[in-house]
Amino acid sequence: MFNKTKKLMLAFTMLTILNVSTAMEHHHTNYTTTEIVINDPWVRLSPPNAPALGLFMQINNNTNYDIKLLSVNASGYKRIELHRTVAQGDMMKMAKQEFMPIPTKGKLHLKPGSWHIMLIGPKSVLRKGDTVMIDLVFDNGLTKTVYAQVRKEKKMTGNHHRMMY
Amino acid sequence: MNNKLLSGIGVVALVIATFYFTSPNKNYKDLEKQLKVSYVLHNPDKKLPFFSLVDHNNNKFDNNNFKGKWTLLSFIYTHCPDVCPTGLMDMSILKSTLIKRGINIVPNLVAITFDPARDTPGVLKTYVTYFDKDFLGVSGDQVQINQLIKPFGAYYERVVYAKNGKPTVLKNDEPLPKGVLEFGYLINHTAWIYLLNPDGQIFAGFPAPHNPIKMADDIELLIKNY
Repeated sequence: MFNKTKKLMLAFTMLTILNVSTAMEHHHTNYTTTEIVINDPWVRLSPPNAPALGLFMQINNNTNYDIKLLSVNASGYKRIELHRTVAQGDMMKMAKQEFMPIPTKGKLHLKPGSWHIMLIGPKSVLRKGDTVMIDLVFDNGLTKTVYAQVRKEKKMTGNHHRMMY
Repeated sequence: MNNKLLSGIGVVALVIATFYFTSPNKNYKDLEKQLKVSYVLHNPDKKLPFFSLVDHNNNKFDNNNFKGKWTLLSFIYTHCPDVCPTGLMDMSILKSTLIKRGINIVPNLVAITFDPARDTPGVLKTYVTYFDKDFLGVSGDQVQINQLIKPFGAYYERVVYAKNGKPTVLKNDEPLPKGVLEFGYLINHTAWIYLLNPDGQIFAGFPAPHNPIKMADDIELLIKNY
């Protein structure tokens, strides 16, 4: 009888410890994920034979230090590169970037005509409404998984007539 | 003396007035002040050089294809993930805007590739008609394309990235290095949209980024005053 109670108590203790540690881990995860917050990830709906697709989003850095987006992983592409479109006079330059800087307590807006992620050589055709799972690897050791929606962007900016695609 | 001065002023005024009223660019220069997002590039003395390319249905595409109608033209390449799809979409929105406004002259939509090595007629057809079924993609000989873009003031350069990330800019007449077609390259390029008049001449230009609604306002004004 005593043995049984001891065993039960031990089991209970172990369960409690396990529960607490899981909760702590969970809490920890929650804490770290708010360090970097990704808003509105989307892939531009493109022609079925488009050799490269643009991926855009807003990356918010809530930490007290500057961070860098180092690489992006997703299955189904030949290669994924970080890019920035820069206007130099009349010339639109597509410059490949080694990383994307996100300043402390700031954000980086990846959008058409600016910073973007280039998904090269898609193995399948994406349709409107599809979701693409993407891992973003940062230099502070964090990896964020985001689900980007495939769409034609129709966002009104400032002038209500202007449509950005 | 006074008489001489007066007649001198008179002659100068006459010369200025003659130039003012007979100069073909005069009206357009005045018009240009009213334009929101475009530049008049019209020069009646500068004809588009002769060219002969291939459209996305494998038909000949030359100077005659620009005659007898207004044309909206851009130079693109399909491996472009950002600037070109945006421009093509803007051209399509522009066309629908003009149609919605009930303007009887709706320009043709033409996209000529900077990159015929990868953008064959078949590739262009699938790509450009996605943005608008009325788009016509044009490919052909690289040397002819290089010649054609000059009077538009358009230019481009291929950029090849080495494995260590170092970019190399290729000259336009330089043959493509071995293996570069498989690995790929980017193209830095100008991204204007051009309006050609029914004489097949360059008439106006719209620099990027484009605002199709303001472009439509300008086009209405330009066509009305043509």
